[in-house]
Amino acid sequence: MAESTQMEVETAAQTVTLPAKPTFKPLKAHEMSDGKVQFRKISVPPNRYSPLKKAWLDIYTPIYDQMKVDIRMNLKARKVELKTRADTPDISNLQKAADFVHAFMLGFDIPDAISLLRMDELYVESFEIKDVKTLKGEHLSRAIGRLSGKGGKTKFAIENSTKTRIVIADTRIHILGAFSNIKVARSSLCSLIMGSPAGKVYSKLRSVSARLNE
Amino acid sequence: MSIVKDSGFEALEKLKSTEPPVFLAPSSISEVARTTSQYLFEKLKPFNPKSPFDQLLVDGFDAEQIWQQIDIQCQPLLSSLRQDVKRFAQNPKEIRKLGNLALNVSHEDDVDEMDMDGFDSDDDELEATESDGDEEEDDDEEEEDDVEEDEEEKSGDHEGIEDKFFKIKELEEFLEEGEAEEYGIDYKNKNGVAKRKKQNLRDDDEEEDDEEDEDEEEDDEFGAFAGGDDEEADKLGKARYDDFFGGKKKETKMKLKDLSEDDEAEIENQGDVKLSTHEKERIKLQSKIERMEKANLDAKHWTMQGEITAAKRPKNSALEVDLDFEHNARPAPVITEEVTASLEDLIKSRIIEARFDDVQRAASMPTKAKREAKEMDDSKSKKGLAEVYEDEYVRQANPTFAPTTFSDELKKEASMLFKRLCLKLDSLSHFHFTPKPVIEEMSIQTNVPAIAMEEVAPVAVSDAAMLAPEEIFSGKGDIKDESELTQEEKKRRRAKKKRKFKAESAKEPAKKARDDTTENPKTVTGSEEG
Repeated sequence: MAESTQMEVETAAQTVTLPAKPTFKPLKAHEMSDGKVQFRKISVPPNRYSPLKKAWLDIYTPIYDQMKVDIRMNLKARKVELKTRADTPDISNLQKAADFVHAFMLGFDIPDAISLLRMDELYVESFEIKDVKTLKGEHLSRAIGRLSGKGGKTKFAIENSTKTRIVIADTRIHILGAFSNIKVARSSLCSLIMGSPAGKVYSKLRSVSARLNE
Repeated sequence: MSIVKDSGFEALEKLKSTEPPVFLAPSSISEVARTTSQYLFEKLKPFNPKSPFDQLLVDGFDAEQIWQQIDIQCQPLLSSLRQDVKRFAQNPKEIRKLGNLALNVSHEDDVDEMDMDGFDSDDDELEATESDGDEEEDDDEEEEDDVEEDEEEKSGDHEGIEDKFFKIKELEEFLEEGEAEEYGIDYKNKNGVAKRKKQNLRDDDEEEDDEEDEDEEEDDEFGAFAGGDDEEADKLGKARYDDFFGGKKKETKMKLKDLSEDDEAEIENQGDVKLSTHEKERIKLQSKIERMEKANLDAKHWTMQGEITAAKRPKNSALEVDLDFEHNARPAPVITEEVTASLEDLIKSRIIEARFDDVQRAASMPTKAKREAKEMDDSKSKKGLAEVYEDEYVRQANPTFAPTTFSDELKKEASMLFKRLCLKLDSLSHFHFTPKPVIEEMSIQTNVPAIAMEEVAPVAVSDAAMLAPEEIFSGKGDIKDESELTQEEKKRRRAKKKRKFKAESAKEPAKKARDDTTENPKTVTGSEEG
């Protein structure tokens, strides 16, 4: 009886060691979704057509060379198409590139939009003036005028103090920047829409921006 | 004597047979009574060794005189009896030595008598009446009867409680024995006094018999201790049942005597009561106690009632009372001559020392460096957002490589301006002014005419900094004016100019051509791009 138990123990000890855990490299963009190619298509609004033409090379170069994503313009469909290549290192590259192109379509400049490619935590937020306050006719025009300021100085003041970029397209407003900065910019814009004078917004900005920049 | 004896006996018998009312009125029975008393006296004489009389002289004597004779005998007899009783009390064994039944019986009777004294005066009265009734009998018999009656009484009263271990009669006897030993004098006196009182209440005719009887009783009872204050004895002896439970006058009197008097007024009203110092003190104390008790029962004075509001105390009562409470403020100093003198001395000394304790302006603390207030830039930022973040990152990572900010540049400019100003002022004011060493700076030199520069230039700037003629114009070869040129040279120059112009214009149309294509949307084709 004792021998049999001993025997069992020995056999247990002699069993083969478990194989090592397999280590898999992260999937490439190309291999994802069973090796199918990933696409992104961004439509071009008519007002952005010629700026796109002018700045095409500036768009194309960083996407193709640094992001390693294929890009082409579908003239018939008026869309910019992005496609992963075999050597696209990360799936997020495609998304970043798409965001970059989309930001350009919204109206942001290339150097501002490029920041989307370079930094992770930047977002674009859009809202309409009517979301904040229902304005019609002249009031609306005045609100837009208040937002921009004389020669755009109010807008630039907000941009500079909060490290964001703002695009005011008729009744739409787009803000590009980090999340907390977007919040500050949005609140100041909203207060401008609601009717507060620019001076008040400046003073608020001064205090808030100092805290933001710490 | 024998005749006397016989006649006496007969007389005694006769007295016995007579009716009691006969004794009340003076009658012929007196002769019989005298002979009887004589006979009895003779009988008892042997028992009294110290008697001065051999026989009782009755012929021609008054009742009072006969009584006196008997009385005279009592005194020595009493003393001897007292001594005997003492002896017996100390050594009870001696009683047995006597061996006489009569004496033993008498001793028992004594004890019984002593016990009986503890009872109410009822018993005494009973005794007296019995003795009165049975005067013809022997004393022993009387006493025996008394004893028997007493015993019967006692036994009759307490039949329920007694058993073989406990007999109340014995208990009472024991108690009264003890009491007698302690209060022997009063005890006996009471008894004796009670007897005397009874005497006073009776007729003279009966007195003799009574006297004799009582005498005999006294002799045999060993009620020998007739000491003590006569006054007190009188008082105690006069105590009757009525004194305690009847007759108000006497009751109050007794109470006054027995208990401590509460009011001296009562005593004074009584008039005839004299108090000892101790009793007077007691009276005073009692009155004091009563007053205090009364005060305790009454409501307290408002000052002693603890917390009290103004409504609960009488009006303006707080003014009358000297209230004590804490003053938190220091009392104002009283200005006296000395105080002022001391102050003045202090002032003088301080002036001499010039130590004025002036208030010194507190040095303002070095304020925290004001945070770099970012200037609100109204213009469009020259850098893109990416560059902004880039600069920020670089500043964080390695501050040395960071490009200067707007504020830094302003600071630089300001500092440069100030330096220049200082230099100028120094050159004007300083006596031993030495010009600053020249710092070779790379700066763009404008082509300012030398004359203007020399006039205005500060000392520090040397002429060497001016542009050299070669820098102004470095021409090679023959330099001819336009007027000196030959026609061929003019043509050569013109041709050169034209070539230059053409070359430049060739580049421009290329650019212009591109713009034209964008402006014209119709011509846009996909192949052109890319």
